[in-house]
Amino acid sequence: MTFDWSVLWTYRARLLDGLGVTVMLAVVTMTLAIPFGLLLAFLRLSGARVIRAPATVFVEVFRSTPLLLQVYWAFYVLPALLGVGFSAITTALIGLVCNVASFNSETFRAGIMSIRPGQTNAALALGMGRAQVMRHIVLPQAVRRVLPALATTWVSLFKDTSLVSTIAVGDLSYAALQIRSETYRVMEVLTGMAVLYWLLGYPQAKLVDWLHRKLKTAE
Amino acid sequence: MSQTLPDMARSPAARVGADKPPMLLADGVVKRYGALNVLDGVGFSVNRGEVVCLIGPSGSGKSTMLRCCNALETIESGRIVFEGTDLANPRTDVRRVRQRMGMVFQSFELFPHLSVLRNVTVGPLTVLKMRPDAAEQRAMRLLEKVGLADKARQHPAALSGGQQQRVAIARALAMEPDVMLFDEPTSALDPETIGEVLTVMKRLADDGMTMLVVTHEMTFARRVANWVVVFDHGRVVEEGPPAQIFDTPHSVRTRDFLSHLGWSDAASAAP
Repeated sequence: MTFDWSVLWTYRARLLDGLGVTVMLAVVTMTLAIPFGLLLAFLRLSGARVIRAPATVFVEVFRSTPLLLQVYWAFYVLPALLGVGFSAITTALIGLVCNVASFNSETFRAGIMSIRPGQTNAALALGMGRAQVMRHIVLPQAVRRVLPALATTWVSLFKDTSLVSTIAVGDLSYAALQIRSETYRVMEVLTGMAVLYWLLGYPQAKLVDWLHRKLKTAE
Repeated sequence: MSQTLPDMARSPAARVGADKPPMLLADGVVKRYGALNVLDGVGFSVNRGEVVCLIGPSGSGKSTMLRCCNALETIESGRIVFEGTDLANPRTDVRRVRQRMGMVFQSFELFPHLSVLRNVTVGPLTVLKMRPDAAEQRAMRLLEKVGLADKARQHPAALSGGQQQRVAIARALAMEPDVMLFDEPTSALDPETIGEVLTVMKRLADDGMTMLVVTHEMTFARRVANWVVVFDHGRVVEEGPPAQIFDTPHSVRTRDFLSHLGWSDAASAAP
């Protein structure tokens, strides 16, 4: 068996473009999924059922179905339902944001609920309003506590963006798979793709480990 | 219950601040958890400048009563009136009332993500909208008062229990409250740090602060309180000046409670 690694160099521009799209997808998704996830968490923590119920349904649907299906659904079904089409990349972002926001909302909710009621009481006793208690006392502690979990979600997201290649979004996976079918250099291209994901993903995973340790000592 | 009636006889001695209407008044307060009446028609009052101690067995409703006083718990019936404002009235701005009441908790409840200084300034900054430099000045003055100015930049986790509780007192004082509520402030402390907290509380009382203290520290109640209210099974079984409660208790249940703590022996041995 002979390898021809030069194929990676030849197609480097397309691979790097794909890599850029992958990074962009992950960054934009998380940037939107954090506030959206926080909003969903607040809705789910609401005392009013009419507010809580829709948020719960949303979260549980997106948590319990495969991301691949969600991306497909957003691509094929959503435009038909809404009567408007989105570009492939917008569709990909809609799917990813809804999915990751659902996971984030559960992370935030767990974090908020893990702060003992005494903290809220102490803040209320100072005369703070509910929103002030959340903003100044509960949320800062909750976020600190769930930061490692959020970072883990981020690392998963970074890899899961590869699923959007199925709707022809030109991310790293899409570029690599295209090059593979054009050149038939399956081994080289797949290995190169793995190395590229690893080069980016590994430092992130290490960063997560570091975060875990640092926040543990800070408690 | 008729057997409590004779016990309720009040000492004729005039109470501190009795010339004015009470600052805080509880009247016929009922609080239920399910079928259990935690508070079963409780009444007492706190005058301006008084130190009132609530004592009694665990589970007798003292702490619940205290939490009702700043509306951390709601009540089923009766009234709690603070400076003429009925807390149960739906039009009452509970936040306003709480701003004027400082509260100190058994488990300190300092905010662990904030430095000691920020723990003390967070109330004035967020609730009173004080300017940061003014809030810090006030906080440092209070930290000095509780003997912890040198810990201002530390986080609560680096402090001993007694130190944390003193910071919690400073935090409550930073709102310049009219009354301080203490919920078993020394119950979670190591014996060697109880003293430093009681000393701070004693000094506060000497400065004329109105205080309502739930406590198991009978020596503190005996020495510092102007008025002692004895709880049992969600009711007030006796109230009076400490000399009455500790030396000549009228109620059998007060006597029982104190003798369980080994107090009555000491009292009867005293000249």
